[in-house]
Amino acid sequence: MTKNISILSIFGVIALIVVGYNAQKMDLNLQNSSVLTGYTLIAVMLCVALLNTRKKLSMIPLGKASSWVVFHVVGGLLCVGLFWVHTNTFWPRGLYEGFLAGAFYLVSLSGIFGYLIQRLNSRKLTETGIEVIYERIPLELREIQEKAEEYIRECTEATGSDVLANHYLNTMVWYFQKPRFYWSTLFGAGNAKVWFRSEGASVKRYLSSEELDYFQHLEELVELKMLVDTHFVHQNLNKKWLLLHVPLSVGLVIMALWHLLLVEVYAL
Amino acid sequence: MAEQQIQTQPQSAEHTMARPQRWAQPFDSNMTDQDVDRLLSESQLKDIDGEKFPKHIPLGGILKNDTRIAKFTPGEIVVREGDYGNSAFLVLSGRLRVVLSPSLPRDSIGRSEENTRSLFGAFSQLWTSNWLPETRDTSKYSLDELMVGGSNESARVVLQDIPTILDKHNTGAIETGALFGELAALGRIPRTATIFADEDAELLEIRWQGLRELRAYNSEWKRMIDERYRETALAAHLLESEEFGHLDDDQIKDVADRCIFETYGSFDWYTSFQRLRSQGKSDEPVIARQGDYPDGLLMVRAGFARQTVKHGNGIKTINYLGAGNNFGLHPLYNAWKNPDASEDLALGSGLSALGYVDVVRVPASVLAEYVFPNIEPPVNTIEAASQKTVAEDALLEWAVDERFINGRQTMVIDLNSCVRCDDCVRACANGHDGNPRFRRHGKIVDNWMVANACMHCADPVCMIGCPTGAIHRSMSGGMVVINDDTCIGCGTCANSCPYENISLVQIADKQGMPVVDEATHRPIMKATKCDLCSDQLGGPACVRACPHDALKRVDFREFAH
Repeated sequence: MTKNISILSIFGVIALIVVGYNAQKMDLNLQNSSVLTGYTLIAVMLCVALLNTRKKLSMIPLGKASSWVVFHVVGGLLCVGLFWVHTNTFWPRGLYEGFLAGAFYLVSLSGIFGYLIQRLNSRKLTETGIEVIYERIPLELREIQEKAEEYIRECTEATGSDVLANHYLNTMVWYFQKPRFYWSTLFGAGNAKVWFRSEGASVKRYLSSEELDYFQHLEELVELKMLVDTHFVHQNLNKKWLLLHVPLSVGLVIMALWHLLLVEVYAL
Repeated sequence: MAEQQIQTQPQSAEHTMARPQRWAQPFDSNMTDQDVDRLLSESQLKDIDGEKFPKHIPLGGILKNDTRIAKFTPGEIVVREGDYGNSAFLVLSGRLRVVLSPSLPRDSIGRSEENTRSLFGAFSQLWTSNWLPETRDTSKYSLDELMVGGSNESARVVLQDIPTILDKHNTGAIETGALFGELAALGRIPRTATIFADEDAELLEIRWQGLRELRAYNSEWKRMIDERYRETALAAHLLESEEFGHLDDDQIKDVADRCIFETYGSFDWYTSFQRLRSQGKSDEPVIARQGDYPDGLLMVRAGFARQTVKHGNGIKTINYLGAGNNFGLHPLYNAWKNPDASEDLALGSGLSALGYVDVVRVPASVLAEYVFPNIEPPVNTIEAASQKTVAEDALLEWAVDERFINGRQTMVIDLNSCVRCDDCVRACANGHDGNPRFRRHGKIVDNWMVANACMHCADPVCMIGCPTGAIHRSMSGGMVVINDDTCIGCGTCANSCPYENISLVQIADKQGMPVVDEATHRPIMKATKCDLCSDQLGGPACVRACPHDALKRVDFREFAH
């Protein structure tokens, strides 16, 4: 895919140069180049926005989605160039144009961010060595917690000691209840491991050898939960960025069309 | 199916219907008791002892429900080369012709395509797909004219200009009383030749379930089928091979007579595979041991075998052999070429059966007489294969252990590229009335996941035991598909699939009411699986929908290497 993006980028750069050159020529001839750059920009924006429609029409042979993504990425970057050619500035004057530019930059940045995190997250998820479907993560976590509590019950019944049970209730149950250490897991800081070493495992010195066996099982479950949490955090981010990118894109297209209408009616 | 009356109960939260049974959908609903009586008086069938058949599968029931009488006029094609069929044919009267060589052109045999949707039909799924899961139009289950698997009357093609065909193609006659097509029906392999009617002919078409019962409960049919199965298959297999393809009919017959036909492993290996696997065991009968002296060339005719070399304290898989592959040619050739050589002429690798394997052992004397004088020295493939590192062979080793080598359209996902967006699952659902036909879940090795999607296996064991033939090879492409109309939800295919790629689902009517058996009120189930989007435009939607090219459908023979 990277190779395809590189190849298509060459055409994108050529297209940008052609539009930029013609715009300059029009300006020199005292013509309004904004018409050319504006219409080109909105045309490319609309084409780029079609990716989401392609996803909904998967039953029709509209080519491979990966090809569309390549076009989406290159087209999106081309839009940034066209935007600058069109506005001749980083931030245009006027309140509405300011909002429009803000939305444009947010969509562009969220798109670049999304592309990058998807590329990075895939490998991070693979490195966990397990595979969990996002929608099943709450169930997986629940199962891990139930297993942990089963070990605690067994331990109490077998040893007659409530040290581990109390420690679980006071400290560890917090960890098993839901995904923890979101940002640390996201950036790979390993706070979960630190927490477990300092607080989770602090009970070890008070456990008998028999209880330590049960604690070892608990440790294994903690490690498994760390992996599931990793899946939750990265898959969550993989989905959440779209919640920003897609609605903003729709808003941007609507705002751009309104801008076009205003320009057509009042400025030209 | 006439007795299966659909009753809609608007006031109830259920929809009832008669539970589909074995023979609920006969092969041909026009078969009458008179037809059965007539068949039982035919010379090929009159000697069958009906008493040997169990009460629940009587001979008359088989003839009435698993067979049909088909009439063909001159030129009409009975079976086409390359088609997957589930029926054998017994010639009741008339004469047929089998095209031996060269094969008839594809267009002359009217090879039909699967019914794919039109562009509008595909698009209309946007609003015709049901929001409710697994809904069915239950009225279709009561249609009398439903055909079960096998060939379809409407698909008949008439050959034009038969004299020219007879002139240009080498053909053979099939006379009254002959049985044919049993190899494809029982062996789950494509038809090897095109057969057409030479004159008005009447055939008894026996779907494979019926053929299986006849073979099981009548010793004469078992002997006849097995003998023909071996003879026909062996001759054809030898002729197709590189080593014996140049021989004439007499020589082939001589070779076939001297060959030894061997079978290793269990025909129903799939029933114990998962259990043994979970126990860390494997059942791989040894065909040839590394270090033994070969006495003949081993030709794999069906199934898979693992080629191994000793490595440390274990054995390392260097290759796997499937139908058409040979084993042991190199050392045998060396022994023939240098009979007094001091070099070690023993087998450099071993061979073991993966599941069920048919092997033809061609004695060294036959090779010396017919093969070795005509061939270049064979390449020693073991040396090159052995030089690969253990890490390089890890994927192959894993694929063989898991029997994924059976897959021809296996869904593999590169987890390093997959962003877990589930666009593939949504695309699959969009093409199947809102119901995904695979799970993005499965066994993982390195960064590859083999998802739980039908692999459209080379040896589709799921097809064994289907009482109605609902699961079958599609006529074009050879995909394994399930005819929802004739599936009785018995779960045989789902239980047989060693890869857990077939699901049983409870169906609902169009309003979402669960469909239940009118007698027991237990749910009516249907088997579902990936059909490779056989009725969709553009091929598998999952592949097209993957935004990062992470999902592929691969033939594991190539992928594992």
